[in-house]
Amino acid sequence: MDPAGRFSTSYRADTALLRTSPQVVVTIAIVLALVLIAFLGSPRLLSVGTAITTSAVIAIGLQITTGYAGQVNLGQAAFTGVGAYCTAILAQRLALPFWLVIPLSGLAAAAFGWIFGLAAVRIRGFYLALTTIAAQALFPFLVLNLPSSWLGSSSGLTLPPATLFAWRLTTERDLYLLTLVVCVIMTAGAFGIVRGHNGRAFAAVRDDELAAGMTGLPVARTKAKAFFVGAFYAGVGGSLIAYQLRLINTEAFTLYQSIWFIAMIIVGGLGSIVGALVGAVAIRGTQEMLSSIGPSLAAQLPTLGNSVVFAAMNVFLGGVIIAFLIFEPDGLMRRWNILKEQYRRWPFPR
Amino acid sequence: MIDFLNYAVLGILTGQLYAIVAMGFVVIYRASRVFNFAQGEFVVLGGFLVWTFAIALKLPTVLAGPLSICAGALLGIVIERVFFRRLVGRSVFSMVMVTIGMIILLRGVMMMTWGAHERQFPVLLPLQPLVMGDFFIPAPLVASGILSVLAALVLNHFFNRSRAGLALAAVSEDHEVAQSLGISVRRSMALAWSLGLALSVLGAAVYLSGKTLSYNAAEIGFAALPIALLAGLESIRGLLLAGAIIGLIQGLASAYIDPILGGQASAIVPYVFMLGVLIVRPTGLFGWKIIERV
Repeated sequence: MDPAGRFSTSYRADTALLRTSPQVVVTIAIVLALVLIAFLGSPRLLSVGTAITTSAVIAIGLQITTGYAGQVNLGQAAFTGVGAYCTAILAQRLALPFWLVIPLSGLAAAAFGWIFGLAAVRIRGFYLALTTIAAQALFPFLVLNLPSSWLGSSSGLTLPPATLFAWRLTTERDLYLLTLVVCVIMTAGAFGIVRGHNGRAFAAVRDDELAAGMTGLPVARTKAKAFFVGAFYAGVGGSLIAYQLRLINTEAFTLYQSIWFIAMIIVGGLGSIVGALVGAVAIRGTQEMLSSIGPSLAAQLPTLGNSVVFAAMNVFLGGVIIAFLIFEPDGLMRRWNILKEQYRRWPFPR
Repeated sequence: MIDFLNYAVLGILTGQLYAIVAMGFVVIYRASRVFNFAQGEFVVLGGFLVWTFAIALKLPTVLAGPLSICAGALLGIVIERVFFRRLVGRSVFSMVMVTIGMIILLRGVMMMTWGAHERQFPVLLPLQPLVMGDFFIPAPLVASGILSVLAALVLNHFFNRSRAGLALAAVSEDHEVAQSLGISVRRSMALAWSLGLALSVLGAAVYLSGKTLSYNAAEIGFAALPIALLAGLESIRGLLLAGAIIGLIQGLASAYIDPILGGQASAIVPYVFMLGVLIVRPTGLFGWKIIERV
């Protein structure tokens, strides 16, 4: 709902993403603040920022697959891993520049995800989630069992830092700026996808695939497309991870990581791009905060030990996820939308 | 030739072991249409329960086994009460998502309660192998095979012949309709979850007997998925056959393919097989054909 007094006088205005001047101001302010952090923040803050923006890209992809198209995906970490390994190979062996490597890695992951999404031709409903588990099991197996000259086997792969002309992106600030730029581009792209006919097709398949099929939508192809897009985002995120770590192995792309990405979109709110961003900030931010106060907490309470701090983090975050599903199934974004609605209607009741 | 038969028998019996774990999964699926992704954590939880009763409390096996199964059933009721009772009538999607959240939560709770280190699991089943002529079969596997067949027969009778079991089928069909016919959806769900957890405890006890108990045991929960899927997710007796098939393939793969590839090819066989089943026959061998309407 638009605030009172805003009327679209042209088609452009009616489809605009930023609909009111406060929205434009806030968006520009947020982007400016994020850029400013790069020059004012401490290295620790910047590394947290890098982790959050990277997760945000991957979570947006999962949001499109799960939140918009309704396909449970437990293999997002495997898709991320494909992107990371592809980056390592392209950057190390072919010495391609990063602005070419990142989209190519995304495409490689997208192809991988698309294959598993293709199973939708035969499979309906939650069975599709099982193919993503298979993807999650197959990925480390393939990496570890192929000849070590191909994918580095268990010792992993190394890659050179991203370079722009003579600028080597190695410091925390450089990496933060890189991920921030990629994240902004990918977010804008996601808004474009979900507003267009693809986004409407995803939502139709999510809400009732039988009815969607009756209206002439190719259901299986739409699902496969959702996996393609979601895995593309995962691949781009994986590429960013590769440039940060510069030494990748399968340890970073486990089923457990996939579950964390699902946690992000649940907390943020299913079916909302901003929700994926909010969820990534909330979950990854909490994780980073807990892991930085964890050691000092363990030092103060020596009886607990380090593992208990980690366990407490799991209990807290797991509890938060379930509480959201039970009490606030549409995530933080729904609360925000209710507040916004009430503000716009004031003084009339909801 | 005798080697081949030995590997085959071992594989089939190992498959029965997976079938027990898969039963915990199928019971919950059949009663509520919920894919319980936390099945692996349930197995670990079962392992810790057995460990607590058998080692920490030093009870004899005869007592520790039934006690931990009862404790598991009780925990199942608690889980239903705390999480799933609030979701009655809501979409299956959110219930499945809750099971994913439960993976993280249960892992954390178990680490807080029992710590993160590995530990020796009690020897519950006799260790000496059965030797029959040239056949050489570990006794725990024989015991697990017998237990698996017994459990399947009992559960099959329960689901197809008993009033409570048929009520579960009605609940899985439609919460509202079942409720309006006088079936308590809540009680049925509680029954399903306690059965599911009790079976997971049984599976953990048999699987881990004499091994090390660590959080890696959760992997068996996912390894059991292909078996549940091949059987058709609704069929309990089908699990025995599906377990035998996948166990056989896996056993032969580990005997003949692993040495060639020098890796863990056998670990991946169930998943590859699962992909095949999903594409060729998604309803599995004995699954129900469900007709959907808009």
